[in-house]
Amino acid sequence: MLSDIAFSSIRIATPLIFAALGGLYTFQAGILNIALDGFMIVGAFAAVAAAYATGSLTLGILAGIAASSALSVLLAVFNLRFRAHIFIAGIAVTFLAYGLTALLLKGVLGQDGVFTSARIPVFPALRIPGLVDIPVLGPLLSGHTLLVYLAYLSVPAVSWSLYRTRWGLRVRMIGEAEDAALAAGVNVEAIKFQTMVLSGVFCGLAGAYLSLGYVSLFARQMTDERGLIALAAIFFAKGRPGPTTAVALMFGIATALAVRLPEMTGAAPQLLQLIPYVVTIMALVVVGVRANRSGAHGGGWRFET
Amino acid sequence: MSERAAVPTIPQLSRRLLRAIAGPLLAVIISFGLGGLLMALLGRNPVEVYAVLLRGSLSGWPNIAVTLQMMTPLLFTGLAVAVAFRSGIWNIGVEGQMLMGAMAAGIAGYALDLPGPVEVPVCILAAMLGGALWAAIPALLRVHVGVNELVVCLMLNPIALLLTGYMSARVLKAPGPTNKLPDIVDAAHLTNFTLYSQLNTGLFIALACCVLVALFNAGTVRGFEWKLIGLNARFANYGGVRVRSNVIGIMLLSGAIGGLAGAEQVLGVYGAFYDNFSPGYGFDGIAVAMLANSDPIGVILSSFLFGALNSGSSVLQMELGISKYLVQVLQFIVVLILAARFTFGWSGWRPLVETAPASTLPSKLPAEQGTTEA
Repeated sequence: MLSDIAFSSIRIATPLIFAALGGLYTFQAGILNIALDGFMIVGAFAAVAAAYATGSLTLGILAGIAASSALSVLLAVFNLRFRAHIFIAGIAVTFLAYGLTALLLKGVLGQDGVFTSARIPVFPALRIPGLVDIPVLGPLLSGHTLLVYLAYLSVPAVSWSLYRTRWGLRVRMIGEAEDAALAAGVNVEAIKFQTMVLSGVFCGLAGAYLSLGYVSLFARQMTDERGLIALAAIFFAKGRPGPTTAVALMFGIATALAVRLPEMTGAAPQLLQLIPYVVTIMALVVVGVRANRSGAHGGGWRFET
Repeated sequence: MSERAAVPTIPQLSRRLLRAIAGPLLAVIISFGLGGLLMALLGRNPVEVYAVLLRGSLSGWPNIAVTLQMMTPLLFTGLAVAVAFRSGIWNIGVEGQMLMGAMAAGIAGYALDLPGPVEVPVCILAAMLGGALWAAIPALLRVHVGVNELVVCLMLNPIALLLTGYMSARVLKAPGPTNKLPDIVDAAHLTNFTLYSQLNTGLFIALACCVLVALFNAGTVRGFEWKLIGLNARFANYGGVRVRSNVIGIMLLSGAIGGLAGAEQVLGVYGAFYDNFSPGYGFDGIAVAMLANSDPIGVILSSFLFGALNSGSSVLQMELGISKYLVQVLQFIVVLILAARFTFGWSGWRPLVETAPASTLPSKLPAEQGTTEA
């Protein structure tokens, strides 16, 4: 039972981790990208539609990434070029994405709420030879689909790109002190644009995993605030890849429990689902109080653009 | 000087009006154009689609009654967002404030059994209180701790949904299969005056609120101060406006109006608090306020437009089999366009120029200066 919950936590956390990795790039560059949910839903839709049409999982994933990135380019253009407030533009893009996918669900796939088909290919579960034999962890870590492993393996890659490359240094520099980066001759706009597109790519993977890996269907608003939970994880861990992933995994466990516990004990699922949001607000308050005490300016204003 | 104090002439007024509505009108036209293109790509005739939308929303009293019903919650949420936006406070938590207000009205509506004329006002007050209290959280955190109100509002929306869900599924659940609170007593119902829709007296309350806020904005010192805060909070502060306490006041008013949106839904439309009843009126309110440029009278016009689109969209779905979410797409294209600061010299994109945003409260406001100090 416990290992069952642990196994499903790893799966449930996967889209959160993908989305959080995408979101933390923009976070590190000082942009608070709240459109993660919108990117994901578009990715999920494109992935299912392409996989259904071509029968290829690879093409499905690629379509998800392409659609999600296209939306991220739209947001980046409006935010960076047209100076739209990131929050307002982000909300607009998110709801545009919800509406558009619902519209296309009906217009292209001919369904009102949910689209599913036997023609959508399914990811095989990977049994990794060495891994299965490890006593306790083996059954937990083996038997997932490819995208699950990709999510967890992306974490060190993202970390490397941010902390070990010149590009990553510039991203963090922009986040810390944009004026200084500008003065130092960094092309701030280009790098912000790149982080936004990377957000799109990762959210595309998150969406593709949701609709092709986690289940084999597309439902209206199927992202179910996962983008917001990912954002909460980013806030909580201040955008560092490792801790963010750990927090996303914790939120995944909370979600898995929210599904399972009520079945067993009759507890209300809502109270467990509250955890990510409440914990994030509490973390923000702690950060704010500390900043006030040390006399520094509150960190919350970095994002006012 | 005397010229500036003079009453503006009719041509001046009309020019001012034209300038005010040119941008929003252009955004709506672009949005409809893009929507038409989308319909054409899906193999539909855009003219036919828009004709059905128009007919389904405005032809005949039954359709108009539905439009007005759809418009009512948007009036409240749009006004709530507009009150905050005008002062540069990004209250995107109206959805949560509405849910809390709705639940407060729902609880008061079934738990209290007061004599007829008192019941409704008490329920409405409960809803305003619920919305205002929920808005007080981001406001207090913002002013006293320096936490970004946007993020807190964003997180408080799902929290409100889950909390009200918990209340209506467990704590105060009415007997039966649906997650809802018990039905409100008869005296708590807002009067419904047509058979064709759930249109109720809430519409007039909403319109009255818009007019009141417009009068407040234009005619009182505080209304002017709130505008100043939106234009430049630092300047307002040095000018002697008590920014911190005013920001709290603005959020409380915004939240209270958001709560009213919930009261109208519970007391006028559903007759009980239902879990997850809102299709996102709080977020639609952002679109309404953006299109209205945060002007209370503009809110009436823009919520009428979006109300009509929403009501026409159901007919669209029935007659042509096109998803009603077309309207959501149109609505948020409008928001996206209006959020952008296009300079009307369209020639080329501007290079990165670091200009301070128009409405940014400084992270820590200097200690407020008493007017006696000098």
